[in-house]
Amino acid sequence: MKTIKYYLFTLLILALLLSACAPQATETSQPVAPTEAEIDQPVAETEAPEAETITVIFPKHEAEWADVYEPRIKQFEAETGIKVVLIQSDWDSVADKIIPEMASGGSAYDVVEFDNGWVNEWCGAGWTTPLNDYMPEGYTDGMIPGLVDLFTCPDGTLHGVVWNNDTRFFYYNAAKLSEAGFEAPPATWDELVTQSQAAVDAGVVEYGMDPYWNQEWSLMNEFHFWTYVFGGEVADKQGCFLFNEDPNTLAGLEFAINLLNNGIANPAGLTYDQATAQNLFLSGNSLFFPQGISGLMALANDESASSVAGEIKIGLVPSGGKSLTLPEAFAIPANSQHKEAAWKFIEYMTSIESNVVIAKQIGLLPIWVDLYTDPELTALYPHWAGFYAQLDNVRGLSTLTWYGDFVDIGQAEIHKALAGEQTAQQALDNMAAGLSEFKCVP
Amino acid sequence: MNSSGVLRLSLLERTKKLFVSENWFGFSLVMPALIAVFIIVFLPFVDSLWLSFQRHDLTRPQNDAFIGLGNYINLLGDDRYLGSLRASAVFSLVSVVFEVVLGVGIALVLNRKFIGQGFVRGLMILPWAMPAVVNAAMWKWIYNADYGALNALMTQLGILDEYQVWLANPVAAMALLILANVWKETPFTTILVLAALQGIPDTLYEAARVDGASAWHQFLYITFPLILPVVMVTMLLQTIWGFHHPFELAYIITGGGPYSSTELIPLRIYAQTFRSLRFGYGAAVAYLTSLLLLIPAIFYIRTAYKKIVEY
Repeated sequence: MKTIKYYLFTLLILALLLSACAPQATETSQPVAPTEAEIDQPVAETEAPEAETITVIFPKHEAEWADVYEPRIKQFEAETGIKVVLIQSDWDSVADKIIPEMASGGSAYDVVEFDNGWVNEWCGAGWTTPLNDYMPEGYTDGMIPGLVDLFTCPDGTLHGVVWNNDTRFFYYNAAKLSEAGFEAPPATWDELVTQSQAAVDAGVVEYGMDPYWNQEWSLMNEFHFWTYVFGGEVADKQGCFLFNEDPNTLAGLEFAINLLNNGIANPAGLTYDQATAQNLFLSGNSLFFPQGISGLMALANDESASSVAGEIKIGLVPSGGKSLTLPEAFAIPANSQHKEAAWKFIEYMTSIESNVVIAKQIGLLPIWVDLYTDPELTALYPHWAGFYAQLDNVRGLSTLTWYGDFVDIGQAEIHKALAGEQTAQQALDNMAAGLSEFKCVP
Repeated sequence: MNSSGVLRLSLLERTKKLFVSENWFGFSLVMPALIAVFIIVFLPFVDSLWLSFQRHDLTRPQNDAFIGLGNYINLLGDDRYLGSLRASAVFSLVSVVFEVVLGVGIALVLNRKFIGQGFVRGLMILPWAMPAVVNAAMWKWIYNADYGALNALMTQLGILDEYQVWLANPVAAMALLILANVWKETPFTTILVLAALQGIPDTLYEAARVDGASAWHQFLYITFPLILPVVMVTMLLQTIWGFHHPFELAYIITGGGPYSSTELIPLRIYAQTFRSLRFGYGAAVAYLTSLLLLIPAIFYIRTAYKKIVEY
């Protein structure tokens, strides 16, 4: 019996030793620069290897109320023979997956979400591939210039092509506004307050607006919006703080606080995310939705999702059209092993044809200038003329290498100010104190 | 055979004896599992502990360096972390009190024989079986200020005149977060206590009744001492989970607001690690919190052990 145990034990040790000799499953890959051959090869002539598979990750937003991307991706697979593993979830989950992967130099993804707020951080870290190496000459000529600029790194190379032109627009309930005695939307912020007050007093609506000011990442989008529409600044190009010294930034935040104090904005907005606030607007609870997604119009006119079908119109933001754009692009990670196929995917999904298909289905704004005068699309979305007029005045989020810290500290301080627990100036000063280690860091 | 040959044989015999002994054979059988535990648990544990002694910011790799206790020292002066620690302590301790009181009460009821006992026991476990995200989303809608069930119920009962924005009030937000947690976690206490109750022999109660003990005295002198070790273990686990588990709950219901008053420790770790990408600092938050949790852990274990011995 003892001899059997002895042999069993020896066998076990041998098995363990053998398993230790097995090759390692993975090795950390280093950034791969495209070879000259890869760069010189014209994109159109490049044949994708048979059954090449790429992994694509990008968010699924509330704007995507109809299934548009999956069918389009299936079409891409059929036309190119490239297989796509698609990962879609909410923005936060996508960000949680992508950022550590990019920062650790992984190669799990071939096409990733590239948010406007990440541009400087990613450009500086070299996490993405310059697309100039893959795209044909003059490829971006027909795109909205602002969208190209937002994803161009300081060295002048393009690192992302916009798939979601998420420029925000000013929506108002024209029927309820008329009921309150006004035929035109507000041209100034003071008029917005006056009209809101009149509509609330007349019992037409509960509130002038339903904000989404919950303490979360997107609260700093709102901070940018109110800063921009009041002509304020967050930081200069060197990363030096302006937000705590600029009177216009202060005025923007004070105005937002006063909207709550005066009963114009729904106080519950302090606990709402965008989807909840949007639903309230579509239920007829409020008069204005100052920062709505472009697809909101299509949703507002869908009677299955909206109680105000036919009542909603779009006006210019009451600041002469200044507004915020939150575009999201596709980028190729520096360590992707399938860059050619990844570029083909990006080219296909952001093409004029794809823009038309997706715009028809969910009203997403095109990135190609010519489509704003396309007869078929303008017949479908006559309000796009207003959109296009505003596109010249929109600005993206601050591009700072410390944007994550800016949001982390900013959202707590801004939320405290909105809740009336500190003044706007105190909030901005506290932000500056909390971020002091990043002062004048680009 | 010369002396060196005898020595070699003796060594071989001794080694063989050592390896074929019962202990070594048992050890060899569990070794694969031990190696797996070493790789899956111990190595990441040591690696993240090492990480906590470093400045390791993914977006600023040029600043990476070993800083010893630097992260820990910074944490002690970090108001946001200390606020999170306070919030987590309140959340965890208040939750545990309610979970134990309700869990023991429900277990006592379910331990009695009644029609539909099995069905009620099954029903009782539902909240605990519900995925954390679903639970959090459900409570978020219940607490909604404009069309939530809580406001509707309280106004219809005449308790409130108008709808309240519960989650915009720091005290109410924390209380409602605790309520959602208690609802989900109480069944765990109930199950464990119920199992302990079923192990108490009926003869003890019969003897007590013969001696004229009231129901209260039976609970106090028989039931409570016998379930106490289980209750202590449950309290320990719930306290630890209160600090480390409620990420989904806080993230979905309040997002840490209003103004960070419900920013529990997991949210802080998440923000530091995955938003600001300060992996070293995030690891230090986790380790310092775990270290602080040792205090109640030792207290619970010592108390439970003492009671068992005394009984």
